[in-house]
Amino acid sequence: MGIKGSLRLLLCISLLTASTSWSAEIHGRSSTQFLSFNNELLDDHRQIELAEYLRLSITNIDQAGKFSIHGYGRGSQDFTNGEGLNGRLYYLYGDYRGLFDKVDLRVGRQFVNLAAGSAIIDGAQIGLNNVGPVAFTVLGGRDVLFGLNGEIGDAGNATFGLAGYLTGFKQTDLELSWLRKWDDGDVSRDVIGATFKQYLLNNLKAYGNLRYDIAAESFNEVLGGVKYYPTSDLIFTGEYYQSYPTFDTTSIYSVFAVNRYQEGVFRVDYTVNNMVSLNAGYNRQGYGEDGTANVYHAGIGLRPIEPLAVSLEYDKRNGYYGSLDGGIATASYDIGKSSQIAGGITYDVYERDVLTGHEIARRYWLGGRHKLASNMALSGRIQNDVNHRYSRNVSGRVTFDYDF
Amino acid sequence: MKKMLFICMLLSLTVLYVQQALAQKQQHKEYAEMQIPECNSCHKGEGVAPNHDSDWVRNHRTLASKAGHNCAECHGQTMCLDCHQGGGINADLSVANFGRDYLPKSHRSDFVTIHPIKALDNPQSCYRCHDQKFCNACHARFPQGNLRIKSHLALGSVGQAYAPALNEHATEARRNLQSCQACHPDGDVCIQCHASGSTNPHPRNWRAIKNNYRDKAGSRVCTKCHLPGTY
Repeated sequence: MGIKGSLRLLLCISLLTASTSWSAEIHGRSSTQFLSFNNELLDDHRQIELAEYLRLSITNIDQAGKFSIHGYGRGSQDFTNGEGLNGRLYYLYGDYRGLFDKVDLRVGRQFVNLAAGSAIIDGAQIGLNNVGPVAFTVLGGRDVLFGLNGEIGDAGNATFGLAGYLTGFKQTDLELSWLRKWDDGDVSRDVIGATFKQYLLNNLKAYGNLRYDIAAESFNEVLGGVKYYPTSDLIFTGEYYQSYPTFDTTSIYSVFAVNRYQEGVFRVDYTVNNMVSLNAGYNRQGYGEDGTANVYHAGIGLRPIEPLAVSLEYDKRNGYYGSLDGGIATASYDIGKSSQIAGGITYDVYERDVLTGHEIARRYWLGGRHKLASNMALSGRIQNDVNHRYSRNVSGRVTFDYDF
Repeated sequence: MKKMLFICMLLSLTVLYVQQALAQKQQHKEYAEMQIPECNSCHKGEGVAPNHDSDWVRNHRTLASKAGHNCAECHGQTMCLDCHQGGGINADLSVANFGRDYLPKSHRSDFVTIHPIKALDNPQSCYRCHDQKFCNACHARFPQGNLRIKSHLALGSVGQAYAPALNEHATEARRNLQSCQACHPDGDVCIQCHASGSTNPHPRNWRAIKNNYRDKAGSRVCTKCHLPGTY
């Protein structure tokens, strides 16, 4: 289904709100957005666009309330750079739950997630539940890929997946899945995935995630971690992660030797009270052949008075391929129940290589939102980027949201 | 052997503690509007780890990327796609745009320039939202030799070329092969040398796995360097 056709269908469905003879309920949001930005990919020409987002859910279509339709898409028109009409249909699917009290069926464009991989597909997902401690999912369809302007996939991109997972267990999650992707009829990805979570001793969580690439006969990703939470406000996290870069088998890069990437993470998150929360972490990265990097992170969230929220984050990376040292500060202030103002600064000092030396990138932004009614809001944001490429790069948006 | 041991350990953990797991999982739909600290206080009482904390964005993958997750009890797919695919119908004021697409916070400051550094913080993270074709579509807009690629600077900042004699490119390619693909999607520059057979680019276990690649897409990949019937 083409983008324009899909958006037309989405708009037609929304027109059904006008029908009084239909007992179904339709809820959603329309967001009309005026965008102005410097198109960095088109010789920095100023681009003015008008975008329309539409998200809707149609429920209670049938008497039992088992069938529903959900859609979400975006259309945008460029007025200055000749990019014309663009669009993304994120999802548009019919969802039938509890067929024979065992089967959930979802048909249409949808986002699907398995431990073995994820995709947006034009297809179907069938879930088989209530058949014991294990439930099953099967999914498949055309693989939808979004590029800079619209879709970049074609009819030859397809995805198929199977999963079996434990269900109904309060303290244990375990899923085994298999995901295969095709590119023009050739199998481009063949992955077995597993994910697992187990709560232990009232204050420990062990978790893991595996992806095994069948063509490379190697673990594409391995994640194992433990969270220790002596109180609900204090969490210690330790993780080990490794990945072995694998490529679509249709790519020449899939037959080249690569190094295994590894990292260890340690992190602490602590909520002191309603006004202060803290977090800090260290990440050791290894790229093979003595390529290593260290990443340090610290953050603080403050709410000194109820309407004011402040967030400060600092990151420092040094090692292989370059360094980055910077922070993000944001603040928001609620003016009564209907308005909010916000602003922030991002300041990064980075070094790509010895020839560039240290470069600085700054971002300043201001925004505001006002509720015009319980179902209508107007908001705006303006941003200026100052970096080695731009002494001034202003972009902004004004949005009008209507909930129905 | 090590791989098998690792899998067995994961499975045995689950089996050992399965008796703890017999209580039914709580439905969360009715708690969707609750404040996170209240959720976590209840979680702790039940021995369940607090979630949606300040580590949540980094850590949510293990819970969300599985069939049968309960995210949908409170969130629609919009929640996923606004962050993973650039949508902006629920954009917070702090969320920035790059053109018409909305960006997650990880795409900070001058991300066009710093993304080669940030992409190394777990090289798989880019592919959770972008297909490789996305990288190619953007890099194709720049003439080759126009970008500042660290490993290509042997001839100076304006002389974009590898100097194979420095032997740096093999190490760089093994560490960061995905970045090569961004500008050379067909590997045209690789096969200029590697197709001759004088330098073998394949991994050490190639003999064991080569049939997997031949069977899946051999006619599209192997024939770039080898004659049909010789691989």
